[in-house]
Amino acid sequence: MSINENFAHYSNLFIALALVAYAAAFFAYCGEWAFGTSSRFGRSIEKLDAKGGKAKGATVGKQAAAPAVESVNATDGGNGVTVLTRAVAEDEEPTISGGNLRAEIVGRFAVMASFIGFGFHFAGVLFRGLAAHRVPWANMYEFSCAAALAMSFAYLTLLVLRKKVRWMGLPVTAIVLMTLGIAYTLLYTDAEELVPALHSYWLYIHVTAAVISTGAFGVATVATALYLLKSANEEGSLSRFNGTFDRLPSSVALDRTAYRVIAFIFPLWTFAIMAGAIWAEKAWGRYWGWDPKETWSFIVWVVYAAYLHARATHGWKGKAAAYVALAAFACVLFNYFGVNTLLTGKHSYAGL
Amino acid sequence: MSEQTDEAAELLTEDAVEAVTAERAEKLSTAPKADDGIAVPSLGFLGMLRWTWRQLTSMRIALVLLFLLSLAAIPGSILPQRSIDPSKVLTFFQSHTKWAPILDKLQLFDVFESVWFEAIYGLLFISLIGCIVPRSWAHFKAMRANPPAAPRNLKRLPVHASFSTTAQADEVLKLATKRLKGRRFKTVRGEDRAGGWVSAEKGFLRETGNLLFHLSLIGILTGVALGHFLGFKGAVLVTEGTGFSDSVTSYDSLTLGPWVGAQDLPDFSFKLNKFTASYQESGDQFAQPRTFDAYVTWKATQTAAAKNVDVQVNEPLSVNGTNIFLEGHGYSPVVEVKDGKGHVLYNGPVTFLGQDEYFDSSGAIKAPSYTAGGTDLGFQGWFLPTAFVPSGQMPASIFPAAQNPMLILSAYSGNLNMNGGGDQSVYSLDTSDMKQLSVKAKGASAASGNALELKVGQTATLPNSLGSITFVGVKQWAQFNIAYDPGQKVVLPSAILAVIGLIGSLGLRRRRIWVRVSEQADGTRLVEVAGLARTEGATPTAEVTQTAQSLAAAVRQPAPDGASA
Repeated sequence: MSINENFAHYSNLFIALALVAYAAAFFAYCGEWAFGTSSRFGRSIEKLDAKGGKAKGATVGKQAAAPAVESVNATDGGNGVTVLTRAVAEDEEPTISGGNLRAEIVGRFAVMASFIGFGFHFAGVLFRGLAAHRVPWANMYEFSCAAALAMSFAYLTLLVLRKKVRWMGLPVTAIVLMTLGIAYTLLYTDAEELVPALHSYWLYIHVTAAVISTGAFGVATVATALYLLKSANEEGSLSRFNGTFDRLPSSVALDRTAYRVIAFIFPLWTFAIMAGAIWAEKAWGRYWGWDPKETWSFIVWVVYAAYLHARATHGWKGKAAAYVALAAFACVLFNYFGVNTLLTGKHSYAGL
Repeated sequence: MSEQTDEAAELLTEDAVEAVTAERAEKLSTAPKADDGIAVPSLGFLGMLRWTWRQLTSMRIALVLLFLLSLAAIPGSILPQRSIDPSKVLTFFQSHTKWAPILDKLQLFDVFESVWFEAIYGLLFISLIGCIVPRSWAHFKAMRANPPAAPRNLKRLPVHASFSTTAQADEVLKLATKRLKGRRFKTVRGEDRAGGWVSAEKGFLRETGNLLFHLSLIGILTGVALGHFLGFKGAVLVTEGTGFSDSVTSYDSLTLGPWVGAQDLPDFSFKLNKFTASYQESGDQFAQPRTFDAYVTWKATQTAAAKNVDVQVNEPLSVNGTNIFLEGHGYSPVVEVKDGKGHVLYNGPVTFLGQDEYFDSSGAIKAPSYTAGGTDLGFQGWFLPTAFVPSGQMPASIFPAAQNPMLILSAYSGNLNMNGGGDQSVYSLDTSDMKQLSVKAKGASAASGNALELKVGQTATLPNSLGSITFVGVKQWAQFNIAYDPGQKVVLPSAILAVIGLIGSLGLRRRRIWVRVSEQADGTRLVEVAGLARTEGATPTAEVTQTAQSLAAAVRQPAPDGASA
């Protein structure tokens, strides 16, 4: 089937519009953080911190062990019985705007722009697929657009589900904007048919799993990096930015978010590698041949496996494990950009 | 490799640790305690052995081995590997004469078969087995054992719900057992000084999944080994109109597993009738291939009926478990070489190897003399599928399909040395005993040097009445990989089980819920429900709340005549 040039053109247009909307969202998120910092609420929190700073530092080592906040609920159990429930409270989500009206308005605008950007982004990816009559993630440009879309989708879905992920807005939008920008300017290639090696339904299975995994690892990395910064702050460093850090979730919550995302996506990454192996067997006659992409996917897998083990090992839990997770994502990035551009192997297709 | 080695100590909140001190005994690990350090105790030889074993099966060493494994794989992706592309290793040797032998000594061109790589994953698997076997046994016992007795003070647990009732303790506990069993908890009832209790646990499948995953890894390794010992792989290059029958000599390369003999090779044969390829003709992906089709006639055995099939990149031909994959393609110009007396020295296709995306292909034509000891003729140079001849520059191909084929050849006469010992490359001439002929065509471009330029149908006459060469036509060749790997039958199911195990291991939550009924001073009874996560972040807040509420709603108030659940 021939390429629908009109659709291909629309796709490019939508991606460009998505870039504009995400850029607007990014600056609005920045504004939200900035205005929020200078709010009275922010300052009062800083003061409180300055008072309680010492005590706070002392308890840090036992962050994971002793939950400080508890919530007590009294509910009517029926029959006139009152059930008292006491549980370790989930973290109160601090607001980024910190009560500052300007920050709040800019923040709302940011979320709105995120949704608009996602709409354009989705349309761009959709029309790319319609133009070429196939899944729109068959080369580096399309894969980047799709992975960024997966990330954006994950964040906005959690937001819609009223999960406490508002703090992710700025970093996620920054990464989405960067990925899409790199794709649009450096990796762009026309919508075309596929090389023979990609004529397989495994393209749908293997690459889709890889796209989602990559996006999710990106989200986990945001949480991990913020965890490291936040726990440094909780230990007393970076105190100049207390006003900012106090509007982030606690280090325990950030660490848990990172772990949950990785624990959720690691089986999918395993599946992506496995589906790739099955496809490789069908296309090249061997399921594993240490092609650079296979090797680096394996390295990514092993390092994330090391993270999961480290997290259950004394002396590795916490920061050391977080550094392992960062190293693992560095491997993800190299597996994508490095292997595709620097090393030659069997995973080189049209437009990289 | 044990994922929750220090689970019991790690994952409980501080409050809860006290409450479940009794459980510490059942900590599921063979690993040494974290504070053991790496100090070598003086325990004699057996003690040393035990100490080594305990270190090897500890999580720390497993972690270190995992890091080593990932680091060790890196050079395999950066340096050329013999197992992937031996010709690249040769090129590397030529361009790095000083470093290549040193790297070779370190087995850096065979990383994945090297002693050190094998040592790392060997140790990793020993560590894994040493960890998994005792854990499997412990898990088996844990699944059969009853959940532990309820802690005395349930208020210390991370989630706790309570209400007062006038209902009888027995009624509440019966109801609680029923409710928890309904939620597929494993339950046990007991009594102590403080009153009666129900203890319930759920999520054993998490550890089952964890063990299944690690056992499956052993399955994958076994399958890989089986494939290595029992399988074979080969490659063969077939030109249109020619065929292949499965015997050792007809392979261009063949690797037999240690337990496979030449007689074990299957008895199939096939012939390449036609190869077609199509390419992108415009845009920024110009010249990218779009379709490859190898039209093949094959027979499963010598006496079987012939069948036709279109072999494509993702559509291998499968013959009784042996698969034939389309791996590469290229051009074979058909030439006829005659000597000065008109004897045909060579007539047929000659394989040229594509060197770039436009298939500028290099190769050599060898035409041994008609009589022994006579003058051999040889040609080497380029085949261009779509030749473009810019003025004053070297001709080059500008498209991968054969739209304007051209041969550009240097001609040699003398001795090809084809009878000498040693292998000679099919793709280049040994010109040590040959003399280059002056063949420059009058109209030829200046830059092409001393070479013939032939289009299809053209003939060039060689100087000194040495003979002639005619470019008769163009055929294509296809390269096929032929592979048999019985280990796949073990690897694939193991891999599927590994993913299932992983989902269970990372997705399921293990938790305990206790219900305790105690007498209060006012004659009513206090019902307490509390929960504890045995895996991180799995505090069963909702389950505890719901259990408490459903109990409160179900026991009658007051309840003189028992429950009505």
